[in-house]
Amino acid sequence: MTIPAEPRRREFEEEALVHLDALYGLALRLSGGDEPRAEDLVQEALLKAYRAWDSFEQGTNCRAWLMTILRNTFINQFRRQKSRPTDVEFEQVAERPHSPALFEADPEGRLFERIIDAEVIAAIDELPEEFRVAVVLADIEGLSYQEVSELMGIPVGTVKSRLFRARKRLQERLYEYAVEMGFLK
Amino acid sequence: MTTDAPVPPGSEMHGEQELTCEESLAVVYEYLDGELDPERHDMVRRHLERCRNCYPYFNFERLFLDYVHEVGARGERSQDLEDRVRALLDEETG
Repeated sequence: MTIPAEPRRREFEEEALVHLDALYGLALRLSGGDEPRAEDLVQEALLKAYRAWDSFEQGTNCRAWLMTILRNTFINQFRRQKSRPTDVEFEQVAERPHSPALFEADPEGRLFERIIDAEVIAAIDELPEEFRVAVVLADIEGLSYQEVSELMGIPVGTVKSRLFRARKRLQERLYEYAVEMGFLK
Repeated sequence: MTTDAPVPPGSEMHGEQELTCEESLAVVYEYLDGELDPERHDMVRRHLERCRNCYPYFNFERLFLDYVHEVGARGERSQDLEDRVRALLDEETG
């Protein structure tokens, strides 16, 4: 049975639009802080969700349903453009040696209580896309290696090594920031 | 360096055999990400209960991952976007 337009619209606004900030946050992280791209992504995902609203099972997790639609919308674009040449930055990150500097300087992780969030967000956004997407899916969205592997179309071993390198790169960035701010020596 | 470093010959895990620091450190992220099979997970956990060298490092990595998750999962506001989404729904509703 099709729900008549008006109540359907009201219902969608009440149940789905309340998650707009969460969707936009995810879209921004996936697109590396590119606001116009993230806005387009959210709009496309919400339009799909609105059109499919009749198939949403009331009482189940609407936020998770919407986040999945947004993720899949992004991944479709990501996989379409994947044939582009690998950029230099990607190679640089891949070649970086393991640096345990942050752990050695701050083994108790006290920095995590002092650092401003914008620094971490900037560090995530600046990761090359192939690394950033893995981090967003695994570390922020909590997907398993297998799920990330399927979404990104890469082997599980590649997911692991991308996560490893991306996390080390984030730690290096945080270390540099902490030294700059005088939190660490 | 990758997280799936080969296990040296002769050190395959059997029964109560204990992991070395090197073997534990090689799977730090798989352990914290909950990606190890239960048996291997337990072996790492037992190693961490005893090892004063590995525990602080695992703990640090745990704090780091929790932090990235917490900050990264926060929503972001855009009033402009909300207006545009409503306009889009108006168009769609007709």
